[in-house]
Amino acid sequence: MIWLQALVYFSFTVFVLVVLAKVVKYATMPIHLRWELYPVPHEKGRAEHGGSYFEEADWWKKPRETTLIGELKDMLMEMLFIKRVFEYKRPLWWFTYPFHTGIYLILVWFALVFIGALFEIAGFPISTALVQQLGFLSWLPPLIYYLTWIVGVLAMALMLIFGLGLLFRRLADEGMRSYSSPIDYFNLLFIIAVVATGVAAWQYDSDFAVARSFMKSLITFSPLPSVSGATVLHVVLLSLLFLYLPFTKMTHFFGKYFTYHKVLWEDEPNLRGSEIESEIKKVLNYRISWSAPHMKPGMTWADEVLKVSPNEIGVWKKEEEK
Amino acid sequence: MAKEKVRIEDISKPVEQLVKLTLDDLMPLPPPYDKPGEEPELTEPSPDWRDRYVTDLDGYIAIDLPWKPKTKEEEEELVKKFLSGLQKLLDKENNWTFLQPLMLSIEYCARCQTCSDACPIYISSGRKEIYRPTYRAEVLRRIIKKYLSPGGKIKAKFTGDIELNAKTVIRLAEDAYRCTLCRRCTQTCPIGVDNGLISHEIRKLFSQEMGIAPKALHELGTVQHLQKGSSTGLTPEGFKDIIEFIEDDIEEKLGRRIKIPVDEKGAEILLIHNAGEYLSWPENPAAFAILFEEAGISWTLSSEQVAYDAVNYGVWYDDVQLARVATKHAEIAAKLEVEKIVVGECGHAHKAISVVADRVLADEYNIPRESCMPILWDIVRKKKINFDPEKNNFPVTLHDPCNMVRLMGVVEPQRKILHELAPQFREMTPNGVYNYCCGGGSGFAIMQSMNFPEWRNAVAARMKFKQILEAFQDCISPDINKYVCAPCSNCKGAIRDMLDYYNAPEKCSIYYGGLVELMVNAMVDLEEPFIEWEFH
Repeated sequence: MIWLQALVYFSFTVFVLVVLAKVVKYATMPIHLRWELYPVPHEKGRAEHGGSYFEEADWWKKPRETTLIGELKDMLMEMLFIKRVFEYKRPLWWFTYPFHTGIYLILVWFALVFIGALFEIAGFPISTALVQQLGFLSWLPPLIYYLTWIVGVLAMALMLIFGLGLLFRRLADEGMRSYSSPIDYFNLLFIIAVVATGVAAWQYDSDFAVARSFMKSLITFSPLPSVSGATVLHVVLLSLLFLYLPFTKMTHFFGKYFTYHKVLWEDEPNLRGSEIESEIKKVLNYRISWSAPHMKPGMTWADEVLKVSPNEIGVWKKEEEK
Repeated sequence: MAKEKVRIEDISKPVEQLVKLTLDDLMPLPPPYDKPGEEPELTEPSPDWRDRYVTDLDGYIAIDLPWKPKTKEEEEELVKKFLSGLQKLLDKENNWTFLQPLMLSIEYCARCQTCSDACPIYISSGRKEIYRPTYRAEVLRRIIKKYLSPGGKIKAKFTGDIELNAKTVIRLAEDAYRCTLCRRCTQTCPIGVDNGLISHEIRKLFSQEMGIAPKALHELGTVQHLQKGSSTGLTPEGFKDIIEFIEDDIEEKLGRRIKIPVDEKGAEILLIHNAGEYLSWPENPAAFAILFEEAGISWTLSSEQVAYDAVNYGVWYDDVQLARVATKHAEIAAKLEVEKIVVGECGHAHKAISVVADRVLADEYNIPRESCMPILWDIVRKKKINFDPEKNNFPVTLHDPCNMVRLMGVVEPQRKILHELAPQFREMTPNGVYNYCCGGGSGFAIMQSMNFPEWRNAVAARMKFKQILEAFQDCISPDINKYVCAPCSNCKGAIRDMLDYYNAPEKCSIYYGGLVELMVNAMVDLEEPFIEWEFH
């Protein structure tokens, strides 16, 4: 089944490349005007009440005090618990939180299968039995064995149950339904289908031994083991999901980095002689092609600001009044 | 004018008016406004407005230009212009100012609607779809996907369809002026999507590409500001006259004359006020003068065009106008050789010059800019002036201007002052960075054309009015004078109009004013109270 193996490599590569390309696209956008939103969690001693360095007279003469811990805390609360949905839309949280936990767990499962495969490649079989050659780490293979099983089953259950739950909520919540397009349902159904075929494949591979040897083949570029039809279907669907994901809004897992760190918490002041100031001088040389009466298309931003005299600034007139 | 829910695609519907508001739909108010007949009825738009102005959304008119297309050609031209503007909004050079935040918000919304209930306008209106934070964002997103991306017409069948016609364009423009850009919705978004920003960007598209914006913001706003010196029309001569009048007034109240420094080169601080203060609330700049002089601060005002008006309406609808005004402010400060610019009690001017326009100023224009709040708190904290809090022994609540608090992080200094100087100070709920907008945000306070004030008072300001009433429920009787402290000119304007609309000074003796007035009112040196309990 070389085609299946090729499909896996291909879709995974595309996934990584497209995600990278998107990250690069956002990371290389020009500096924007400041648009932060308080509370900004890295404001040391002030984040609790939502304050900023502007609460201090002569702030620009004083060293800026920030706290990475504050920022990490807020980030982790959001990443691990989806805090904002918990606070502001609890009924949705009961569905979306277990669902997202399922996604995290399935990623952990992949990591465990990957590690298990590495152990097996190194000659240490993963099973319930201790591996004496590993000496004082002899308990590691059975630990991986049981963890893989627990994490995998829990992840499947959470994603399947709460994926269906989210689908149901999207239909039941009027606000969500009227804003949902076919693609939103398709996305959920797609994920549910991948998980459901995963559950089916599991029926033929109750302790994930096949999954591990599948991974082994992928790592060592050797032929795949013989697998059930359900597994083939599952791997095909999962590969297609990986191909599809980077082109959707489901890439919010990295989009979120930019919205918070590059916009809402980005309060770096433009001090004289700073790097930001030189960035600004660069973008002020971009050219404008806006065509309202108060614009001079073709000029740079700097010239629009400094060289257009107030009396040249036109305003909108009705055609017949021109 | 259907009662049923408005859907996204309805924005293009060929009906005269998409939504009609009624008093019954609006959020109920606390006592004494909990009975029918306690607030004015909503009116119908005048029939002769319908041909020339856009009443097609909810019957209210924010953009007071006669820009409604009449012929098929005009309609097509409008759609074409809209699309060319939209392209520029997504272009690096034309919109470097907000490209990254905009693209992120277009791309990543999960339509979970977690943000909806954070919006005071959406809630106050009785949850009207067209005011939902995600409504205009979703319309814009669908237009971009369908009309500006390859294969869009086919993709739209799956990603959400929309028809772009003249109705869509004119309604979207009006709808961008049904959001005060308070960005409370953004605080609740688990992904960090900013629907307030989307309103801002739609406004920019219309202004920067077509010159379409409410007159109060553009023609009589930034354009008049740059051409005549102030968006109020105040000239340098007029300004100097007012300063003299204020000096007379101070002499009367303080018992001695203060010379207000104007155009003093080399002062430490250039203080800039919203020029609305000089015309509507001269007691505010007077109080600043008293405090700064008594505390021995080195400061000056400027009588030069543009610099005696701190406002920068560009921050609400046009980045080029924003940059022009901010640069002019900085240029005059540089000429006066001051150490820093300090903004008086004006929220959007705070945010415009300190935060948003921070990244259009370079080299000689890059002058330190600050809020007045920490300086005022230092006066109290360091006991530079003798205060007697007992002089302020009446109920006081604090309104947080969004631009100063949620959008700039100046939260504590003003509270600390009130805790020191106002024994009956009580907070509103919620407050601080989670406050509600006064209803006058993003220019609404100064937009007084046609029926827009009715919408502002009945819908946009409703949540704030509710909060004010709730803060004073223990003393709501008209026998007790109450003070809403609003350290922001536009918030004061909106609160003035709101109190007047609901007849609250008479019914509940609720008055409003700034923070410095309360400070001066508590000064031991003043024999007569500074606050006069007159509604103006």
